[in-house]
This record gives sequence, C-alpha cells and structure tokens, in this order.
Amino acid sequence: MTKAAAVARMCVPIFLVAAFALATPAQAQKSGGSITVGQELDIPGFDPLKVGVYDTSTNTAAAAIFDTLTTLNDKGEPAPKLAVSWTHSDDYKSWTFKLRQGVKFHDGTPFNAQAMKENFDRQKNPANKCRCAFYITNVKEVLAPDDYTLVYNLTDPSINWPAVITIQSSNNVIHSPTAWKTKGDDYNRNPVGTGPYILKSWSAGDRMVLEKNPDYWDKGRPYLDRIILKPLPDAQSRFASLQSGEADIIWDDENDADNIMKAQKDPKLTVHTYKGSGAAVYAFNTKVAPFDDVRVRQALVMAVDRPKMSQAISNGLSRPATNPYGDGSWVKCKDDGALPFDVEKAKALIKDYGKPVEFKMLVTATPRGRMIGQVLQQFWKRVGANMEIEQVDQATIPSRAFTRQFQLTPWRIVDLADPDPQMYANFRSGSPLALSNFSDPELDRLLDHARVTADLSQRTEDYCAISRLINKEAIWFWTFQNTYYALSSARLKGFPKMYNGVIDVSTTWLE
Amino acid sequence: MLNFVVRRLLAMLPVLLAVSLLTFLIASLLPGDLALVILGDQATPENVAALRRDMGLDQPLWWRYLSWLGHVLQGDLGRSFRTGQTVLQAVAERIPVSLQLMLMAEFIGLLIGVPLAIACAARAGGAFDRFMTGGAFAMLSMPSFLTAILLIYLFAVELHWLPATGYVPFTEAPLANLRFFVLPALTLALAEWPGIMRVLRSDMIATLQEDYIALAKAKGLTPARILFVHALKPSSLTLVTVTGINIGRLLGGTLIVESIFALPGIGRLLVGAIYTRDLVILQGVVLLVACGFVIVNFIVDMLYAVLDPRIRHGHA
Repeated sequence: MTKAAAVARMCVPIFLVAAFALATPAQAQKSGGSITVGQELDIPGFDPLKVGVYDTSTNTAAAAIFDTLTTLNDKGEPAPKLAVSWTHSDDYKSWTFKLRQGVKFHDGTPFNAQAMKENFDRQKNPANKCRCAFYITNVKEVLAPDDYTLVYNLTDPSINWPAVITIQSSNNVIHSPTAWKTKGDDYNRNPVGTGPYILKSWSAGDRMVLEKNPDYWDKGRPYLDRIILKPLPDAQSRFASLQSGEADIIWDDENDADNIMKAQKDPKLTVHTYKGSGAAVYAFNTKVAPFDDVRVRQALVMAVDRPKMSQAISNGLSRPATNPYGDGSWVKCKDDGALPFDVEKAKALIKDYGKPVEFKMLVTATPRGRMIGQVLQQFWKRVGANMEIEQVDQATIPSRAFTRQFQLTPWRIVDLADPDPQMYANFRSGSPLALSNFSDPELDRLLDHARVTADLSQRTEDYCAISRLINKEAIWFWTFQNTYYALSSARLKGFPKMYNGVIDVSTTWLE
Repeated sequence: MLNFVVRRLLAMLPVLLAVSLLTFLIASLLPGDLALVILGDQATPENVAALRRDMGLDQPLWWRYLSWLGHVLQGDLGRSFRTGQTVLQAVAERIPVSLQLMLMAEFIGLLIGVPLAIACAARAGGAFDRFMTGGAFAMLSMPSFLTAILLIYLFAVELHWLPATGYVPFTEAPLANLRFFVLPALTLALAEWPGIMRVLRSDMIATLQEDYIALAKAKGLTPARILFVHALKPSSLTLVTVTGINIGRLLGGTLIVESIFALPGIGRLLVGAIYTRDLVILQGVVLLVACGFVIVNFIVDMLYAVLDPRIRHGHA
C-alpha cells in the first residue's frame, strides 16, 4: 500500500462541500464590456522563483489569471474552486483533496494532481532558493496518488488548512508546468493559469490587458470581456482617474482618507471596504529594561488613546483594535482582556515602578511611520515615559526584530483565514518570530490546543484566552485593525469581499 | 578642432569614473541589507547570510566596486532581482516615453518662453516686462506636483478635455498618444519657460543696445523685423546651451511628473526602484542617466566651440 493510500484510508471526511456552493444567488449579471483597474504598484511578475512573494497589486492580477484549490465564500468559509471536496486525517496532519476534472490551463495543458504537485515541488526545492519556500515550511510533502487526488502531508496539525490556502499568494496559485518549463526566464512575465482571464498583453509600467477565458470551467463566468490593470502610483491622480472615468475601480487606503470620504458622498462612486482580520501591532522586548517589568508595559498600553490616534493619522478611519484578530476574523471574543485607556492608572504604574522610564522605539522612516511615532511619544510623555524615536528603513525592521536588537518595534499581523499560523509563530516559546522573548507554559498550552481542536467554539475560547493572557501581560499591543478600501464607479456590480485586500474583479459586471 | 575634441574626451574619463564610483557608493551605502530585501520580511538569518555570500556582499567595498565596474564595462549592468529584467532591457523599454516627454516639455517651454522674452525685451522696463518678470519668479517657485494636480483637476476632472493618467505608444495611436502627453509636458514646461524667458530676455536687451541695431533703426526697418530678424538670432547662443542642458535637467522633473500622470518612463522606473529597493535597477539607471548628462554636456561644449572659435582655442 502506498503512503498516500494509507493516508487516504485513515482520513475522516468532514468537509464534503458541493460544487454548487460557489454559485451566487441569481442577479442581473450582464456579460460584456471592459473595465480598468487602477493599482498602487507596478507588477513585478508572477513566477514565485523570481518575485518570491506577491504584493497586493500582483494578488489582484493573480486572482484573474489563476485559480487556487479553494476559495472563501461570503461567510468566510472555505469553498471549492479547483478542488471539489476534501478530507483530513484524525491528527489534521494530512489533507486529501479531490480535484475538479476536465480543467485545462490557458495553454491547453491539463490540470491534474501531477501539475499541482510539480508547482509545490518547484517552490520547495532547496536548489531553487525560492523565498516563497519560507511560507510552506510546514508542508512536508505533496503527493499525487492518482490524477484527481492530491495529498498534503504537514509537519504540524492544521485544523483549517483548506482556508489557509485560499489567498492568491505566490504559494497558492497554480501555474502551468508546461509554461514555466518552455518559457524559462520569460515565464515571469508570461504567466499561464487556469483562471477566468488570459494574459493578452503587458507593457512594463503601463498596462496589463487580460481577456476572458472562453473555456473557463465555471460556465457563464466571467462576465466582463476584458480587464485592464494599470499602475497609477500617485493617490491623487489615481482618484482623479476614477472621477474622470479613465479607471473604473481603484485601490485605496486610509492614508488617503480625504478621497475616501469624498467618494462616500459622490453618488456616481461606490466605496467598497472590507474589515479584515489582523492588526497593526507593536512588540515589547521583555528581556530588556524597562520592559522586563510588566507595570511599565501595562502603563504604556493604557496611555494609548486609539480614537485620538485614528483622528490624527487617518481622519478617524482607522478602527481601534483590542485584540489581534479583527472584525473579519471568525474569532469573536466577549472578553479579550483589553487594558482600558486610563491615564491616571498609567501614571500610577510608572510611579510605582520607581525608576525613570526611558526607551527607544523603532519606526519606519516614512511620513506615516514618523507620525505614528510622534503621536505615541506624546501619549507616553503625558504619563511620564520618555520615548526616543529611532527611524530606520523598512527593510531594517525585520533584521533588528529577528536579532532582538530593539526595545519596542512595530510589526503586523496580516489577514489569514485562520489565526493559527501567525499566532503560533508570534507567541509560541522558541519560535524565531516570538519577538517579545516571552515564554509562558499556559500560553504554549493554549496555542497547542487551539491548533488541534476541531470544535470552533472551543478554538474561539482558546484564542480569546490567548488574547486575555497577552493583554494582561502586555507583551504586545494592537493599535488598529486591518481595513481595505477600493473605490469604484457605481456601475460596477458583483464586487466580492476584499479578502486579504485583493481586488478580485473576476466576478464583476457592468450595469 | 580635433585636438580640442580629444582633450575634452580625455577630460570626460575621470568624470565618468567619478560618476560610476558615486553611483555605486550611493546604492551600497543606503541603509538596509540587499539580501534581506530580496528574501523578505520573514527570512532566517542563515538564509540571509547564505545569499550575502552568493552575491558577494560579504566582500570589501573596493572589491565589489571593481567587480561591478568590470561588468559595467562589458555592458552588463545587472538584472533586477524583482522582475528578472536586465537594466538595459528595462531602460530601453522606458526611454522613448521619457524622451518624448522631455522634448515636448522643452518645445512647449520654448513656445511660451521665447515670445514672452521678445515682448519683454522690446519694451524692457515697461509694465508688461515688469509683470512677466515677476510672474516668471512666481512660476519658478511653484512645485511641479502642485501644478500637476491643479492641471488634472481643471482639464481632466472638471472640463473632461484631457485624460488624467495613462499612455499609449505613438506608433499605436499618434493622436491619443499626444493627448496623454499634453498635461505632463505642460506641467514640466510651466517650470521651464521662466528660465528660457529670462536668459533670452537679458541677451536680447544687450543685443538691442548694439550699434548695428541702431543702424537698422536708422535705416527705418520695422520694429518687428529688427526684433525677429536682426536681434533674435545673435541673442540665441545662450538659449541653445540652456535648452541643451535643460533636457538633461528635466529628467529630475520626470521623477514626479511620470509618477503623477502614470507615464511608464525612466522617472517612474527610478521611483519604483527606490520604493521597492531594487538597488540593481537604481544603480544602473542612475549611472546611465548621469552618463547621458555628461555626454549632453560634451555635445553642448562641442556646439559652442563650433559657434564661437575663441572657446576651442582656450581664449574665452
């Protein structure tokens, strides 16, 4: 018996989701037409070996050119895409996917388990030195026991694996093996997937033209004949392009609060916003003074007035966070143990500490980084703590963080469909990403328990307990939840939730 | 003349060498580790160390410079770690856009600046001259990003006459291509004409005081004929030089203007390279642009020497 067969035998079916779960309720979708999407960045390319990790602009294009095995439905639950059903082993370390039959890549190559396995092996192969490999270190191997069965064997249990692989990241989108083998170095700018749109032309720094895939497996989709993706780096002129009709939908963020508010008042425009999971976060190094004392950490957290800070940096658009999960996460806590905003209590804690509180905080050398640093500096000065801003380049922060050369550093928790991968990496004792150097047996127990428990309410309780523990010990604190924006012409319909900030226009149509 | 050309060419060598060294140092001394940039946020220290070794980043600076210079001299300016494109490929794709923008900007700048200069010089010290000289100062102090945003709001958002952003190649749709270039070129030109006007105006005022102009007036020639035929040509020598050098200087302006109007030129390439810390592209583009500037200066020197023999004999 092959290993795969053994795995398949011990699998217990829990998700057997019907293929029609994706179908949206009947609406007046119209076929035809073309739209222009205004993005923030130039797309560097699609070959994971070249670009490593996709940025938001690349994810947006990838959502049209490629498919993933699974997707998230409107409720945020995993739903079929190129996989039609899945099962898992008792210990959640092995996941078996049944693949959709009769799907072809744009170049005619059949999509099957072997193609999928080759995609994975290529990223994982140490000789290829892909920086995308970091994100799949928890996948031991991918097996293709037959044409339409795919098995993931993981090093650690993953209760929510089908949700974890939904985002259009460089790891998850599926490329045609024939294409990368025949095109070599040129593949990066000539991507071939199974997605609803086919790359027609691409001129560097200017436009990428995608045309409808007439043989798309999801019959009836897509609706638009053509999508044009354009990098429009300047936020003001991007918005002007939307107003003057050169763009139909544009990417935006809270930095551009004025234009978002203008769009909210304009009947010709629609503001799409998605309250994601994750948050902007800050980690204290608990091994160095003054943060080796919990009173100092708690005092600083209690001194942060988030609504005022939101007003200062984004005209009030930033949404305060009291835990690391965010409104878009399925983890909803009745009690997340957030420390209250209390200046007097903070002053008392600092006084109780008895020594002067002086420290340096890393901030990115960007206008936004500086502003956040200055706002926090003012809050903390009020309670008797002196913070010195240390501006560093964005790329310097990870290296300083990994080597623990900091007292207080900004960090981020990005959107993921399941909190486990990030929470485990950020807080489990001994993890290279556990920036606070904080070790607690109860925290470890909760993290271990949450990742192998199938019961959602039990997992929610675990993650809320984790939040309570982190908040009480104040080893990290959270300022604002991740929020994503896209502004579009009111004629654009069918725009889905912006999971992970991706502008997926492959389901939209023009009214 | 040949002697002069050879002398000037030899003098260019140390300049080009200095340019290459400075370019290399700028890119090398920027904060942040290239290996870390390539590997991303979550790279392990071991991976970073391995990549640094592979890329020779653990070697002394002088060794890295010489090895880089060796490659550059063989025409290999490196490859972007983001897109896999070579620097030369990337520049070749973008340069037509920037050249068109700069030429159109210079053309519009001359179109505004030259008639104004003539009008001012014709009545030097008069109300129009004083008003325009003041206006030129005001325009010089207007940052181009502000000009750009104002033009976009007026002509694209309010009047819908011209597109706010975008680009099509001239070969594909010549008229549409020109439409896309009007606002960006105008933005740059609005910063260019004051310089053009001031140089030409003062040269013309000096020319108009020459004896032969008095003679022309005495002969009863019309003021227009005197201005356009007899005074403009001898006053244009400085303008030719300034125009040549401006084209090089305009590249600085394209950084902002190309980003605002989403034109896929060299300026955008450079801004993108800075934004994504694509140091290979950054280094290569800065080197090519600097060399281009040195060469334009050389050509201007040559033109000058042709126009004024005193210069090539070293008497000026």
